[in-house]
Parts: sequence; structure tokens; C-alpha cells
Amino acid sequence: MHKIEIEAEIDLIAENKRLAEENRKFLKEKGIKAINIMGAIGSGKTLLIEKTLDALGKEIKFGVILGDVVCKADHERIKKYDVKVEPINTGKECHLDAHLVNHVIDVFDDVDLILIENVGNLVCPVDFDLGENYRVTMVSVTEGDDVVGKHPEIFRLSDVIIINKISLAEAVEANIEKMIQDAKKINGRAIVMKMDLKTGEGFEDWINFVRNLVE
Amino acid sequence: MSFAMAIVENALKMAEEKNLKRIESITVKIGELLLINPEQLKFCYQAASSGTMLEGTELKIEFERAEISCVSCGKKFKTPIYLCDSCGGFVSVQGGKNFVLKKIEARNGI
Ligand SMILES: Nc1nc2c(ncn2[C@@H]2O[C@H](COP(=O)(O)OP(=O)(O)O)[C@@H](O)[C@H]2O)c(=O)[nH]1
Ligand SMILES: [Mg+2]
Ligand SMILES: [Zn+2]
Ligand SMILES: [Zn+2]
Repeated sequence: MHKIEIEAEIDLIAENKRLAEENRKFLKEKGIKAINIMGAIGSGKTLLIEKTLDALGKEIKFGVILGDVVCKADHERIKKYDVKVEPINTGKECHLDAHLVNHVIDVFDDVDLILIENVGNLVCPVDFDLGENYRVTMVSVTEGDDVVGKHPEIFRLSDVIIINKISLAEAVEANIEKMIQDAKKINGRAIVMKMDLKTGEGFEDWINFVRNLVE
Repeated sequence: MSFAMAIVENALKMAEEKNLKRIESITVKIGELLLINPEQLKFCYQAASSGTMLEGTELKIEFERAEISCVSCGKKFKTPIYLCDSCGGFVSVQGGKNFVLKKIEARNGI
């Protein structure tokens, strides 16, 4: 009986990387853009998608992927629109991964832009490349104005950071400027937007961003 | 859970290739910037390995440090930041995002 040590150097994220590249290749070949929308439960991700479809549904052909642990509520909300929508129930997983997206991506071969709502949390979704072109992280002021500082990694790796529900800032005593500064401190190249999806304040910045993507 | 599954699948494959009989431990290296919780990973590993030849083996976890330093003055940082607080230069972040199966310890023979 003797002890053996096998030295390995196996990349355990390789499979996700491979499938993300496959997704990216598909998108590129078809000339489709995809946005991975991350953020906590209740930050406003589904409402952002709804308002985007309302505002741009006539000029841009959208597809929507909705990641959720089990709940079908978001799917019911988006089904009302005339767009292709694929819900992904992640089961035990608290994030989407490239494999799950790979299963449904073929459906969207004729759209201009895929909006992907990731599972609601500010932690692990950032570790999983889906093959998307842009990463958007949405937070609301009701999560507390220290939420950006507490989750630096997801903001560091985002292209767009949205601070939502700003009309409620006063009521919850959240300092919007602090949130913006925290975001810039960790990621100075990201576009930082503040908005309120109920009042519509600041929403045109997002609409302009989306329009520019597909042009 | 998917990380734990990846460990189990890859370790089992390796065990078969190398014809390992009794595995004692698996060592993985986690990038410190990944948001994997080590305790949770160990727990998930137990669940994912149960019913396989890895059941009851120890999961050893090492960390891969990230190199975080200012590209202008070279100042090093413990956590990522966009601009250097000394000189205002860009701070580069290298590594800290890998997740690797490093080592399998086993016993073979009679
Ligand atoms: N007052 C206010 N409520 C909002 C805003 N955005 C979203 N909500 C509400 O917050 C709740 C959660 O929104 P939802 O889009 O489902 O969040 P998700 O979990 O990130 O998809 C819903 O009741 C929305 O109507 C906002 O800007 N202002
Ligand atoms: Mg939602
Ligand atoms: Zn997760
Ligand atoms: Zn410096």
C-alpha cells in the first residue's frame, strides 16, 4: 500500500468558457447583441425589460431570456408582449450559466437584441460568462446606499451600472451620490445611470444606450 | 453546486484514467476574486460526491491570489480599485479568477 499524488491542472471553469464562446460565436454570426442583466431580487430587472419593450418594441426585434430559481411570475409578465421569450428555471442554482443559455439560444436566431434577466442576486452570476456582449448590473436605492461597496466584484465587471428607484431615495435615506461614487471607484469605465422606472426619470439614458447597441 | 459537480466529474475521470483505487483527498485552487464560498463548496462537494468512489474524501482548498497593482507607480492593493489612491494611475487586476483541480491523493497497491 503506498500513497500516490497525482498532480493535475484541470480548469474547472473550462466547460462554461467553451459554451460561452459557442454562444458568443452564434451571436456574432447572426449579428445579434445580448445583454446580461444582473441584480438583486426586486431591483427592477423585469420592469426594465418591460419598459424597454414598451419603448423600443416597434423599432428593435427583441428576444427575452428569464432566469429564475422556480417562479414563473416574470414569464407571465413578459408573455404579454409580442416577443420571443424563454424562461429558464435554474432549479437549485442561483445563477444562469453558459450551458443553460446555450440550450435556448437557437430560438433567437432572427432577433436584434436578447435581454437576459439573470437570477436575482449580486453574488455568483458574475462568475459565469454567458457569452453576452454587455453586462448590466441593476441596484435600487431601497437596498441601502452601501450595496455597491458591499459587492465590488459584480460592479467591477459590469459595463453598465443602473441605480434604480431614485424617487424613493429620500424615504429610505439613501445617498445616491455615494452609490455613484462607490460604483466609479471600483469601475471607472462603466456607464453609470440613475433612474426611476415608475416616474420615468433617467430612463432615456438607457433607451439611448440600447438604441446605440443595435445600430 | 455546479462547481462541486465539476470537481467530482473531473476527479472521477482522472481516477479512471490513472486507475486509482482509493482516493483520500482532492485539492482545488480557487481564485480569490471568485465568489465561491469555501464552506458551501465543501458542503456541496459532500453531496455531489456521495454514492461515488469520492464519497467521504476530503476536499482541500487553496487560494490563488490576484495581482492587483498600479500600472504607473506599482503600488500593490489587497482588493480591486479602479484608480490608484497614491498617483491616480490605472490599477490592473491579474489572476484571481481561476478555478483549478490541482491534486488527487490516493493509495494504490495491496
Ligand atoms: N417605486 C419604484 N418601484 C419600482 C421601480 N422599479 C421597479 N419597481 C417595483 O419593484 C418591484 C420589483 O420589480 P421587478 O422588476 O419585479 O424586479 P426584479 O426582481 O429585479 O425583476 C415591482 O413591484 C416593481 O414595480 C422604480 O424605479 N421605482
Ligand atoms: Mg424579475
Ligand atoms: Zn449561483
Ligand atoms: Zn499609482
